[in-house]
Amino acid sequence: MKFRISKEGFLEGLQQVQHVVSARTTLPILSNVLLEAGEGEVKLTTTDLDVGVSGRVEAEVKKDGCTTLPARKLATIIREVPTNEIDVEVNGDNVATIRSGPSYFKILGLAEDEFPALPDFEDAKEFKMEQATLKNSLRKTSYAISTDETRYVLNGIFWSFKDNTLTLVATDGRRLAMVDHEIEFPQSHEGDIIVPTKAINELQRLLRDEGEVLIRRTDNQIAFELNKNILVSKLIEGNYPNFRQVIPAETKERITLERETFLSSAHRVSLLTSEKSNSLKLVFGEDNIDIMANSPDIGEAKESLAVSYKGPEFAIAFNPEFLMAPLRNLDSDEVYLELIDEMSPGVLKNNSSFLYVLMPMRVTQ
Amino acid sequence: MDCFYAAIEVRDDPPLSGKPVAVGGSSRQRGVLTTCNYEAREYGCRSAMPTFKALQLCPRLIVLPTRFDVYRNESQRIRGIFRRFTEFVEPLSLDEAYLDVSHLNSSGEAVAREIRYQIREETGLTASAGIAPNKFLAKIASDWRKPDGQFEIREEEIASFVHDLPVSKIWGVGKATAEKLYAQGVRTCGDLQSVSLPDLTRQFGKFGAQLHQLCRGIDSREVEPHRERKSLSTERTFEINITLLPECAERLKDLYTELAADYQAKHRDRSIAKAFVKLKFSDFSRTTAECKISGLEEPPFHDLLEKAWKRGHNKPVRLLGVGLRFEPPPGESMQLEMFD
Repeated sequence: MKFRISKEGFLEGLQQVQHVVSARTTLPILSNVLLEAGEGEVKLTTTDLDVGVSGRVEAEVKKDGCTTLPARKLATIIREVPTNEIDVEVNGDNVATIRSGPSYFKILGLAEDEFPALPDFEDAKEFKMEQATLKNSLRKTSYAISTDETRYVLNGIFWSFKDNTLTLVATDGRRLAMVDHEIEFPQSHEGDIIVPTKAINELQRLLRDEGEVLIRRTDNQIAFELNKNILVSKLIEGNYPNFRQVIPAETKERITLERETFLSSAHRVSLLTSEKSNSLKLVFGEDNIDIMANSPDIGEAKESLAVSYKGPEFAIAFNPEFLMAPLRNLDSDEVYLELIDEMSPGVLKNNSSFLYVLMPMRVTQ
Repeated sequence: MDCFYAAIEVRDDPPLSGKPVAVGGSSRQRGVLTTCNYEAREYGCRSAMPTFKALQLCPRLIVLPTRFDVYRNESQRIRGIFRRFTEFVEPLSLDEAYLDVSHLNSSGEAVAREIRYQIREETGLTASAGIAPNKFLAKIASDWRKPDGQFEIREEEIASFVHDLPVSKIWGVGKATAEKLYAQGVRTCGDLQSVSLPDLTRQFGKFGAQLHQLCRGIDSREVEPHRERKSLSTERTFEINITLLPECAERLKDLYTELAADYQAKHRDRSIAKAFVKLKFSDFSRTTAECKISGLEEPPFHDLLEKAWKRGHNKPVRLLGVGLRFEPPPGESMQLEMFD
C-alpha cells in the first residue's frame, strides 16, 4: 500500500474516527485504525465492537492495499509533521513508513484481517433527514441522558418512529428532554429504539449544518451515513420507561421568561449552592420571582426577576444544573415554565416541539 | 479499637480471658467470623473467615453470637471520649475513626496517648492509634503497634516510611491491582514512585492519579465529620473467569454472607433502600442490576444476578459484586424521581 495525502485531510479524517478507540481494551487491534487505500481515497475505520466509525479522505493512491495502525499514535504524528504533503507506504509485514519533508517515521501495524468488520445493513429500514435538524434535536436532548450505569436503558437517546414523526427522548429519571420532528417513512418502518450515549456523542461530532443523513436500522444495529462518514452502533436492548405518563396533562401556572436573563440569574444564584444544599428555590409572588440559594457552610444568594405572574404565592426547588441545562441548549428568546405545585413536575417549553419535564427537589427542614 | 467485639465479650465474661475467642455466625449456617481476639489470630483465624474453617484451624475456638446493641453502645461512649478532644471526628465503623487534632496545642502523639488512656480507664478496652499528617498514613500507622500501642509518622519521615511500604497497604489496592503492579516489578511504594503519572492513568484511570500521590505519602482528603455513607458493597475478582450462572450464584452466596455481616456489624442504623449486583465481564464491560428492598434477604440478590447475567449474553464473568444503597439521612434536600 502506498499513497500521498494532505496533512489537513488526513488529520481531519483521523480526528473523526479516533474518539471511538478506547484506551483500555482487551483486543490490541481495537486500538488501531483500519486504513484501506484504493480508487483515489483512503478509508479510515475504527471500532470498539459496540460503536464503529469510518470516513474517507482523498489521496493519490499509488498502490492499493490495507493495514491497521495505532490510531492515537498515528494522529499525533500527523498533527506534528512539518509539511503539508505526506507519503505513506506500508510493506507486507504491516510496517508503515511516513515521510513528510525531512521527517521519517516507522510504525508497526497489525494485519487488517484481524480487524473486526463493521456489521452489514441488509434488510435495514431507511430514513432520511436534514443533518441540521438532527444536530439541533440532539443538542436539545442529549444533556439529559443518564450517566448512571445501573439504569442502562437510560444511557442513550430513545428514538420513536411513529405516524411520520421522529420523537427523541433523553432522561435520567429526574428530568426529561423531548423533541418531535416530522419525517416521512412508510408505516412498516415504525418502531422504537435506544441509541447508546457513545454513538450519540460520535454522531454529534460528525453532523454538519448542511446535507442529509441517511439512517438505517435493523433490530439491534443502527447506521448513520453522512458526508463521507458512516457511524454504526449497537442498540441498547431493554424497555424504555413509559415517559408519556410523567408529562403533566395540565398546568396551573404558565410563566413566560426571557431565556438568557433567567439563565444568567439562575447561574449567579447557583454560585451559592453546594454539594449538600444543591437546590435553587424559586419563590413566586405578584409579577416577581425570587431565585434563592442557601448553603449553611457558605452563605446565601438571591436575585429578583420581574415577570408577569398573577397566581398565588408559592415556592418550588430545583437542582440548578437540571434547570439551567435546557436554557443553555435552546436558542429561542423566550421560554415558558409551567408549574402545578411544589411537589409536581415542572415543564419547560418554547414555541417549538421541545418539551422538558423537571422533577422538583423536596427540601426537608 | 483492638479486636473490638471480641474484646468486649472477654471483658464482660472474664473467665474467657487468655482463651481464643471469636464473634460471628455459627458454622452450621455458613457463618463467618466477624472478629476474633489475638489468641485466636495466633491459630490463623481472621475476620470474615468462614466459621467452620476457623474451627478447623483452632478447635478450641469459642465462637460467640454477636451482640450489636452492646457494641454500638460502647462505640457511642468511645466517640464521646473523642469529642472531648476535637469536634472533627469521622467514624469509619463502630470501632475506627479519623480525628483531626491539628488545631490543638498539644502534639498528636500526646493527644493519642491521653485518648487511649481515657478509653482504657472508662471502658476497660484497649485502642491503638496512628498519628500522621494525613488520613492515608494515619490509618497505616494505626496498625503498626497494634494492640494497645501507637505510632507516629512525622512529616520529615514520610519519604523513608513509604519507601518500603508494600503497595497492597494503599487503600483501593486490592488483589487485582496489586497483581498488575507486581507483574511490572512494583512491590513497594518506592517502586511505584518510579512509574510515571501518564503510565498510571493509562492503566488505572483516575485511580492511577491517586496512586501517584498516595505512593508519595500525599493524601489531601479532609477529616469529614458528617460524611454519610451512601452505599455498602463487597466484590470479588476471580482468578479464573466464571462461565456458568450456577457457579456465579454459588459465589454470590459467600459475598452475600460477607455483606450481611458487614451491614450487621457496622451499619445497622441505616435504612436500606436498594440492593444491587454488579458484574464485570471478560471484556471489561460492566453492568449493575438493582431493585428496591426493605429488609436484608438473599433471594433478591439472586434475581438481580440473573438479570445482570442475561445482559452479558453469556460472556464470562471476571468480577462479581453485591451491595446495598442506603436511604439518605434526614435533613438533606432530596431530588424527586419520575419513574419510582
